[in-house]
Amino acid sequence: MSELRQLGEVLWEVPAAARADMRVPARVFADAELLATIERDASLEQLENVATLPGIVGAALAMPDVHQGYGFPVGGVAATALPDGVVSPGGVGYDINCGVRLLALPTTEAELGKRREALVHEISRSVPAGAGKTKGRARRGRELDEVLLNGPRDFARDEDLERTESRGRLPGADPDAVSERARERGAGQLGTMGSGNHFVELQRVERIFDEATADAYGLARDQVTVLIHSGSRGLGHQVCTDYVKRMDSAMRRYGIELPDRQLACAPADSPEGRSYLEAMAAAANFAWANRQAIADGVRSAVARVLGQGTADGTRQVYDVAHNVAKVEQYDGQELLVHRKGATRAFPAGSSEIPAAYRDVGQPVFIPGSMGTSSFVLAGEPGALELAFGSTCHGAGRRLSRTAARKEIHGADLRRQLEERGIVVRSPSNKGLAEEAPFAYKDVERVVEIVERAGLSRRVAQLTPIGVVKG
Amino acid sequence: MFRWVDHTSELELEIEAASEAAVFAEALAALAGLVGDGDGPPMAREVEVAAEDHALLLVEWLSELVYLSELEELVPERIAALELSEGRLRATVEGYRGRPRHLVKAVTLHRLELSGDDDAGWRARVVLDV
Repeated sequence: MSELRQLGEVLWEVPAAARADMRVPARVFADAELLATIERDASLEQLENVATLPGIVGAALAMPDVHQGYGFPVGGVAATALPDGVVSPGGVGYDINCGVRLLALPTTEAELGKRREALVHEISRSVPAGAGKTKGRARRGRELDEVLLNGPRDFARDEDLERTESRGRLPGADPDAVSERARERGAGQLGTMGSGNHFVELQRVERIFDEATADAYGLARDQVTVLIHSGSRGLGHQVCTDYVKRMDSAMRRYGIELPDRQLACAPADSPEGRSYLEAMAAAANFAWANRQAIADGVRSAVARVLGQGTADGTRQVYDVAHNVAKVEQYDGQELLVHRKGATRAFPAGSSEIPAAYRDVGQPVFIPGSMGTSSFVLAGEPGALELAFGSTCHGAGRRLSRTAARKEIHGADLRRQLEERGIVVRSPSNKGLAEEAPFAYKDVERVVEIVERAGLSRRVAQLTPIGVVKG
Repeated sequence: MFRWVDHTSELELEIEAASEAAVFAEALAALAGLVGDGDGPPMAREVEVAAEDHALLLVEWLSELVYLSELEELVPERIAALELSEGRLRATVEGYRGRPRHLVKAVTLHRLELSGDDDAGWRARVVLDV
């Protein structure tokens, strides 16, 4: 293991001098216990590889939920200086703009009462899970171009757009940079959840840590919320596939050598780099439209079970991306911040966040593993000072999918969750077992670390009462 | 012969085979076992992929099979004809129209390897994002 030195209470560093090819240090936010988990897989080596990217500035960063990925670790942040620094599609990942959206119902758990099961059932009917090519809203030709260019703008409520990171639209998207194959994969998938760790979860606000901020976010104890986790589906997967290949082929031309082929990159201002950023923005916009369509499905389920008034009063708290690269300014320098399994967490005062939240900071949602709590956080100034405006994104996997399946049968897990009062709808017992709560790190510890590090602070804790799995 | 090596969030496929063509056949068998589900009428597709090197050709091959399973619901079972030349692969893939699990997001270049010769045998490694 490389020489880790402690920089702060919950901050560790591998100095750039540890390897001849590292351009900047590799830093990890963790306590000793999480660090021990992190050191058991290849995350740190992968983070050191990220530190070799041409144009990287500051440090390659890992959040406390980091785990081994392919190329970049999941839970990593890397900023490159524009215009010469590189963009790496692998630094965003295959599920471009995978993210989470939180809706708050004007309803308490007690008011929901026995209609909870019906609501979970109706959500599962409204939001196609697993994966299917034609179950979602079909968008082809110019209709699909509109989504790629502008995200959910033509069908979202204004107040939803206002409460979405980047208002649900990254600038610079070009549908022509998205291959025909990517378009085909995405054409019928709008409003579908996908499989793996994607979900729609019905929750109760269990605990409030910060009354003033929770009030600003419109969250109160015992309120019912819905957390949506999905991304850009097959369209995003194909965009990443296409551009990893294109950059793999272009790297020699730019004289770039990397320790891992999956880190394939090109200068952001090169033809390949620009084209990827145009396609990535289009896929990110598609993902925001996808979560909007899912939110619409949830509202229609709410209308059927609880009435149109409740559906109309179901507000969007916010929507955040956790797999994306964005152009941001730090100390007067224009940087391209890659967040792969990390969330933007801008503090109070940022003009990038909705006016209603500007005094308290940007909301961040950290889904726990299935059956455990999720957290609402708020961005803190430390995020800007230490982590290019970023914080963690989830619990982070601890066990592989096979290892999880060896530990428990899906049917047993379903029974255990239902015994704890969580209504479960999932198309696959196998898929359910792979997402078992013990396959993930302890989300409470992860959020405690980002709070101690000053990246974000806890606002509320949400407990699941129903889950629809992808 | 193939085996899956399980990592925290992805699947690594290791293949050993007597010929390079057999590496591609083993890769199909591995993917079929991973995504195969349901039953339905027989189906066949012509596949042609090209790449700058043969390790990348293996990625292209698997990517094509993932695409066909996602868009056309093809559960691949066997290769009826395979033509492997410099940087190019042509094959007829036979199987059935099923309900393949949409498990594989993408085929990555992470730890990608394909090497060997017909005397010592061929080895390949490819990591899938699932």
